[in-house]
Amino acid sequence: MKVTPDLTNCEKEPIQWPGFIQSYGFLIAIDPVAFTIWQVSENIEGLAGQPVNSLIGQPLVNLQLGDLSGSLLHDMLVIAMRSGTPEAFNPYPLKLHGRDWLAIVHRHDGALIVELEPTSQLYGGLSKPLHTLLAQAMSDIQRSKTLAQLLEKTAQQIKQITGFDRVMIYRFGEDWHGEVVAEAREEHLVPFLGLHYPASDIPRQARELYKINLVRGVADVNEPRVPILPVNVAQYDRPLDLTHANLRAVSPVHIEYLSNMGVGASMSISLLYRSELWGLIACHHYSGPRFIDYPARQSIKLVSQLLSTVLEIRKDDEDAEVSGRLHDNEQALHQQMTADWDVVQGLTKHPITALDLNEATGAALLFEEELHLLGDTPAPDDILTLIDWLKNTTSESVFQTNQLPNLYAPAEGFRDKAAGVLMVVLSRQMNEYLLWFKPEQIQQVSWGGNPDKPVERTNTGDVRLSPRKSFDKWTQTVRNKSLPWQQVEVALALKLREDLLQIVAGKANQIRSLNEQLRLANEELEAFSYTVSHDLRSPLSSIKRYTEIYQEDYGHQMDETARGIFDRITKASDRMSMLIRNILQYSQVGSSGLTRRLLPISEMLQQLREELLMGETARTITLQIGETPDLEGDQTMVNQVFSNLLSNAIKYTRPVPEARISVRGMQSNQEVIYAVTDNGIGIDMKQAGKVFELFQRLDSAASYEGYGVGLAIVKRILSRHQGKVWFESVPYQTTTFYVSFPRRIS
Amino acid sequence: MLDILYIEDNPDEADIFRRLISRMEHPPGFLILSSGSEAIDYLLQQGNYQGQSTPLPHLVLIDLKLPGHNGFEVIQQVRATSRTCYLPLVVYSTSDNPKDMRRAYDLGANAYLIKPESYHQVSEMMRRAIDFWLTQSQYIP
Repeated sequence: MKVTPDLTNCEKEPIQWPGFIQSYGFLIAIDPVAFTIWQVSENIEGLAGQPVNSLIGQPLVNLQLGDLSGSLLHDMLVIAMRSGTPEAFNPYPLKLHGRDWLAIVHRHDGALIVELEPTSQLYGGLSKPLHTLLAQAMSDIQRSKTLAQLLEKTAQQIKQITGFDRVMIYRFGEDWHGEVVAEAREEHLVPFLGLHYPASDIPRQARELYKINLVRGVADVNEPRVPILPVNVAQYDRPLDLTHANLRAVSPVHIEYLSNMGVGASMSISLLYRSELWGLIACHHYSGPRFIDYPARQSIKLVSQLLSTVLEIRKDDEDAEVSGRLHDNEQALHQQMTADWDVVQGLTKHPITALDLNEATGAALLFEEELHLLGDTPAPDDILTLIDWLKNTTSESVFQTNQLPNLYAPAEGFRDKAAGVLMVVLSRQMNEYLLWFKPEQIQQVSWGGNPDKPVERTNTGDVRLSPRKSFDKWTQTVRNKSLPWQQVEVALALKLREDLLQIVAGKANQIRSLNEQLRLANEELEAFSYTVSHDLRSPLSSIKRYTEIYQEDYGHQMDETARGIFDRITKASDRMSMLIRNILQYSQVGSSGLTRRLLPISEMLQQLREELLMGETARTITLQIGETPDLEGDQTMVNQVFSNLLSNAIKYTRPVPEARISVRGMQSNQEVIYAVTDNGIGIDMKQAGKVFELFQRLDSAASYEGYGVGLAIVKRILSRHQGKVWFESVPYQTTTFYVSFPRRIS
Repeated sequence: MLDILYIEDNPDEADIFRRLISRMEHPPGFLILSSGSEAIDYLLQQGNYQGQSTPLPHLVLIDLKLPGHNGFEVIQQVRATSRTCYLPLVVYSTSDNPKDMRRAYDLGANAYLIKPESYHQVSEMMRRAIDFWLTQSQYIP
């Protein structure tokens, strides 16, 4: 059979029912009701003077253990059981061969388990009375200022109470590997402080057991273990469950592990933080066996529980302090964003920025298609590529890792800035994300022996499951990792996301409401235009018509001068009427609805050419129509654009003997551009700024009729189409107006 | 005999209309009403005109911007009433806004004339309109 060379096999070993106890004591499992013997440890045989199998099934009263009579034991247990909780009265003092022994009783696995163990006098006493040591331990705990100090004092206290050669406080990491964070040792020993041990050193089921049974030990690594007989509990078909038994023999693999380390006796005490294993107090004795008796174990248990409580309080305090500060910063960020009414400004432009929300050293905000950076970050291009990868990697609204390069290889290029990343999705649709970065922490991890070589090969080349032989310091470099993201950091990132989305939504609502106001204003403007068209034009018509009627009825009585005056009245009212018409047109461009469709420009231009040249029979005008790509736009408005541009070309070529006008279109992927060129009076570029302004007329145009509205209308129409208008001019040579309409308008 | 009902609130327009009718060779009979509400009452024989026999014209000329009910409402009411639903209705307005024109046609106007500014153009337009609707196309109510 081939053995898989993996120490995680240890995880499969049923350590809670080894079927053996340590040799320093005796174990009897009895029926809790009938008080008959179910199982005993094999070493009872010597004490009882009769073979084990003859004891099984017998009433306890019949048992005689040297000078200890079974009836005494029986009576004691009857009284203990009557209380309902026999464990509460532990230990029960006994005399065995004239020496002080203790019986420790507990109910488990359906049985009443009685363990007999010696008192410490067997192995030498304590340096000080126990209660003195305990009082000192408690005052040390109270006086320690830092966690490190507290742990070190505790290690020293435990060493004093137990007399072990080395007492270490061993702290578990997230992956359950351990690190020695405090140590008290005999001076001649090599320090283990700062060393790391792989998770497989303390397998999972051992850790589970340690949460239930807080104190356990191996009194003598070299003493052979003693079997419990018969092997199986009658009703279970398996050995007795010794989870709570102090005498429980540990796994042979563990004994080998301890032997390899040179340990003669050991003890470990669990340290719990919020019901989870935080660490261990691990005690090693190198100079022979060491047994810690029940009262001393109880004291140590008390110290460890005290320490666990202090850990919780301290850690809670520390967490509360950090968390309080970060929460305050989050509040500040929220207020800034609200006060500025601007997400980017609120997060980046004040003394408190998004970087103060956590322990990150860099941050990036991709918002409204712009990337904003804070602190120490990768290059913008790297961030954008990273975001592309991240958004396809996760569908959640938050993503975090403290080892980005191990997930995303390109991150190795910037791991000094971002080995850890925390990202919150603001909007996938808008491609908006907020990211924080933590730099790589190159760690020199010192292991107690090479953790990758836990397996031994025998001379014949067979693989044998065995713990490592060497515990010499072995240093490993860990790369690609940053400090982890704390719960509070992730929680606050999510809170900030909520605040931010609220502001974004609020802004969207504000824009909606502004749009509504704008729409109402436009409607009012349209109503106003209508009123202007009707109310201003009606009296003007009356003036004009009555002037005509007067001329008709009394014209024959008027002289030249009077007729001249009447001509002026008519012309002035014509001009005013034209002006009103223009203003109305201009305002309608802004307010009336825009219906876009693909327009056949060729037809439109030919019709315009016909209409516009009709009144110009006295001049030589060529109006050439070139390429006419179709364009998308509002028919009425586009027609007005060409009408205005062409009438201007016709108007301003009047002084030229041969007017040459051309209109031609060009198209690219993005736009359709039309150019209207003439050889007229042109535009002095010094006055270029005035060209598209309403009611602005150039000096050169003073002698031409017009009101300075035509090109303003053109500009307005183009801007409503998200288009452009511009021109180039060399007076009396060539003047070209360009209009550009975007293609595929959504 | 009533040939034309002209609904117009502007006294100048009404005056010019009277003048150009009077200059015609065969002046048609006409009635000018100065508000939309009164025109509706007249045509539908209600309000002040209830119980009276109001002769129906052969042509209704209607301005759009009127006090009370505006021109559009008059058109709507006229078209919704069986007595008047086939009455020739011609809008006569200053507005050259295509929206107004579309709306008038949608409601059932038969024609839309934009008021010219000069007196000569006005009289020419009226002469031709009256000739068309009263002589060429005679609708007997």
